[in-house]
Amino acid sequence: MAVKGIRDKVAIIGVGATKFGELWDENQFSLLIKSTDDAMADAGVKRDDIEAIWVGIQYYFTGLSGGTVADALKLWGKPITRIENYCASGMDAFRNACNAVASGVNDVVLACGVEKLLDEGSKGLPGFREFGFPVLPMPSAPAMFSFAATRSFKEYGWTKEDLARVAVKNHDNGSYHPKAHFRKPVSLETVMKAPMIADPLGRFDCCAMSDGSAALILTRPELAPSYAHGDDYVIVKANALSVYTNLPWYWPNFDFTSFPSTTTAAKLAYKEAGITNPRKEIDCAEVHDCFTITELLNCQDLQLCERGQAAEELKNGTFNWDGETAVNPSGGLKSFGHPIGATGCRMLYEVTKQVQGRADGRQTPDAKIGLAHNLGGAYTVCSVTILSQNK
Amino acid sequence: MIGIKSYGAYLPRYLLSRKLIADAWGFPVIPGNKTVANHDEDSITMAVEAGIDCLWGFDKSTIDGLYFATTTQPYLEKNSSSLIATVLDLKKDIISMDFTDSINAGAAAMARAFDTIKSNDDIKNIIVIASDKREPEPSTMSEFAMSDGAAAFLIGEGTVEDILVSIENYFSVSDNVTGPWKRTDSDSFVRNFEPKHEAKYGYVNNITAAIKGVMDKNNLKPEDMGIVVYYYNNPGLLGRVSKMLKFSQAQIQDSLFFTLGDTGTPFCFMLLITALKRVKPEQKILFAGYGDGAIAFYMKIVNDKGIRNIKKTRMGMIKSEKSMIELKNYSIFIDNRKYLIKDRYIRKSSPVTIWRDSASIYPMHGMKCNSCNVVQYPIWPICSICGSRDLTEIPLKLKGKIFTYTLDHLVGGGYYSKPTPRCVLDLDGGGRILCDMTECENPEEEVEIDMEVELTFRKVHEGANFMNYYWKCRPVRGRP
Repeated sequence: MAVKGIRDKVAIIGVGATKFGELWDENQFSLLIKSTDDAMADAGVKRDDIEAIWVGIQYYFTGLSGGTVADALKLWGKPITRIENYCASGMDAFRNACNAVASGVNDVVLACGVEKLLDEGSKGLPGFREFGFPVLPMPSAPAMFSFAATRSFKEYGWTKEDLARVAVKNHDNGSYHPKAHFRKPVSLETVMKAPMIADPLGRFDCCAMSDGSAALILTRPELAPSYAHGDDYVIVKANALSVYTNLPWYWPNFDFTSFPSTTTAAKLAYKEAGITNPRKEIDCAEVHDCFTITELLNCQDLQLCERGQAAEELKNGTFNWDGETAVNPSGGLKSFGHPIGATGCRMLYEVTKQVQGRADGRQTPDAKIGLAHNLGGAYTVCSVTILSQNK
Repeated sequence: MIGIKSYGAYLPRYLLSRKLIADAWGFPVIPGNKTVANHDEDSITMAVEAGIDCLWGFDKSTIDGLYFATTTQPYLEKNSSSLIATVLDLKKDIISMDFTDSINAGAAAMARAFDTIKSNDDIKNIIVIASDKREPEPSTMSEFAMSDGAAAFLIGEGTVEDILVSIENYFSVSDNVTGPWKRTDSDSFVRNFEPKHEAKYGYVNNITAAIKGVMDKNNLKPEDMGIVVYYYNNPGLLGRVSKMLKFSQAQIQDSLFFTLGDTGTPFCFMLLITALKRVKPEQKILFAGYGDGAIAFYMKIVNDKGIRNIKKTRMGMIKSEKSMIELKNYSIFIDNRKYLIKDRYIRKSSPVTIWRDSASIYPMHGMKCNSCNVVQYPIWPICSICGSRDLTEIPLKLKGKIFTYTLDHLVGGGYYSKPTPRCVLDLDGGGRILCDMTECENPEEEVEIDMEVELTFRKVHEGANFMNYYWKCRPVRGRP
């Protein structure tokens, strides 16, 4: 597949995010206003400068169509599109925005994402996936990732303690991030003893229900220096989206110890960015740790370690904020929160701050190249983006 | 010759001891147990199980009809037999019919099957399935008696080679005595005004009249009979009738009532199946059902060797009973019966999509790719492995092994099914599916990768206000 790609064709000139969490007194519109105000202020652009917008929203109750953003910002007449691609909706909104800039159609665009989950209650993601199969079983999100955990325990010999270390690391990282949902370290014992949700995943193996929004302003690299950060903008080195099945449990050869959407998207992104040794070249990575097992498998699928070695590498500190490859220095979905449509943009927000050296209080030492990995559905959709500082 | 070619039975996994019922309501204890259907079972799902058991080893294309007998059909308007026939993967050009409204419906359906085959050259085999999930009112005497289950006979035309028991003829009486009843719109439970009155003028009068009738018709004397099987719902009445008709204790099929309760429509079938475990060549049989009258059949053992053979490949009553266990307390039963008011999550549904995907949902068909030979599920126009469109629809096996699973604590099942095991299965002979597990009492200890399971047809939800059925898996109960 010869894709020309978007390497070096798009610059990130501003990022913004709301605080994530149980934001009872906010709605999807106020969240969008806050994240986009933050991003526009960061970039030094005015709202009239924005030519087009893509917004990642998964649930219909957060909002349908581009009208959700138009209404929020009272911004009329612009081309705005809602993107839905499961939990990868946010990074797919970013991909569409990138394509508009890279193709030369637009000069300044906004990519954003938002989800207002708590308005539906906090008891887990609302059911939404009938797929035209009303009687076939539909596992909850914890259940579908438990399938991978059960299989990984068997194939790799991992244990609940190996999973628990992911939660401990990410909650520790999140405690340093002012915008994270949870800002308190947790002990291995607390994680291990938490009530079961979908065995072997307990409460602390699962990310929580959160509200939030994040936004990015993009432009062409040649225009970037004229905005707030001058030459200190961030370059998009690669973006790849890979889609497999909504129903992996019907695939006769699906092994549940690796997610093909991630391995494919990673390969494409590394090729585009010219990365040959991801573990050495990637300084920090925001990966989709919706569940602890997911982060371990992601690290392998993203070639940050050998297959079967993620638990051991984590234990040895490879993925600590100051380790060989910092994984989820923000706290990840586990600690930062996971308002579905916002997450992809929030990851890019974080990686941008890291490679700009502006991740106050949580800065990965000497971060130059960062990766963001957004996974959605039943490991269905994966988007991998590689960002680099412009120096 | 027309007669019974095969039989099948289904007893739900769980027994409720009568002591638990007595303890719950402060009643004097009555000995024994009764069968209770699980939360995901109804008369249709149990009929499917009995049908699978009955048709094991038979070429389904030779079945020309399905008669379903029940007093507890899930729908007042909408046929159940057509659904059961679809799940059993019978062909389309068959007769299917529901027999309802009386616990005599099973015997009535058998008589109609006999008549249908007798009067039609092109109808050779009809499967008759009786099934009931009975609804006695809690804290009444009926609650000790009424129980759940299903049984089936394959009635057909044939020779001594394939007929096990011949049906010679029958005698029917009709009588309007109001025994148990349940009104269409206003009753949640079966009512009974005066059991003693019904016993004397309804049950005893009718069952003896029907049995006498068929004996007179065939010049039979009580001592001619090898096996005498008739419906009863009170062990005292069993003895009273046998004494009146001058049958000895040895001729009468002994009591399932104490061990299983009165399953209603299928009960007389279950008694007959149980009686077939000790047959002698050319024994004569009397078999009778009761309800708003009675029907008595005269039958003969024609192939005792065949009866002994078929037992090996049937769950029947024996294997079903062996794999039953007692519930630990009454409250699980009450919860499972949905007598407690609870908010229950109900999925969306559509009769249109279920009709469209019927082959994948009901008879569990998958497809085999003619290019890469991989068996897949559900049916799709394109192979997920090689992209070929050259695919053949095939029936999948109803057993397999767990590839991976989770024990889901967020979704409650009934009985001991908390947490609910959700399993990715590799079916024997190919096909990977996802299904919930039911009737695993200790999932934390029992469920593991490579565990062997059987598929069982269950009610999964009532989205769009109709019954949504699909397959679940269960720990092996021993179905061949």
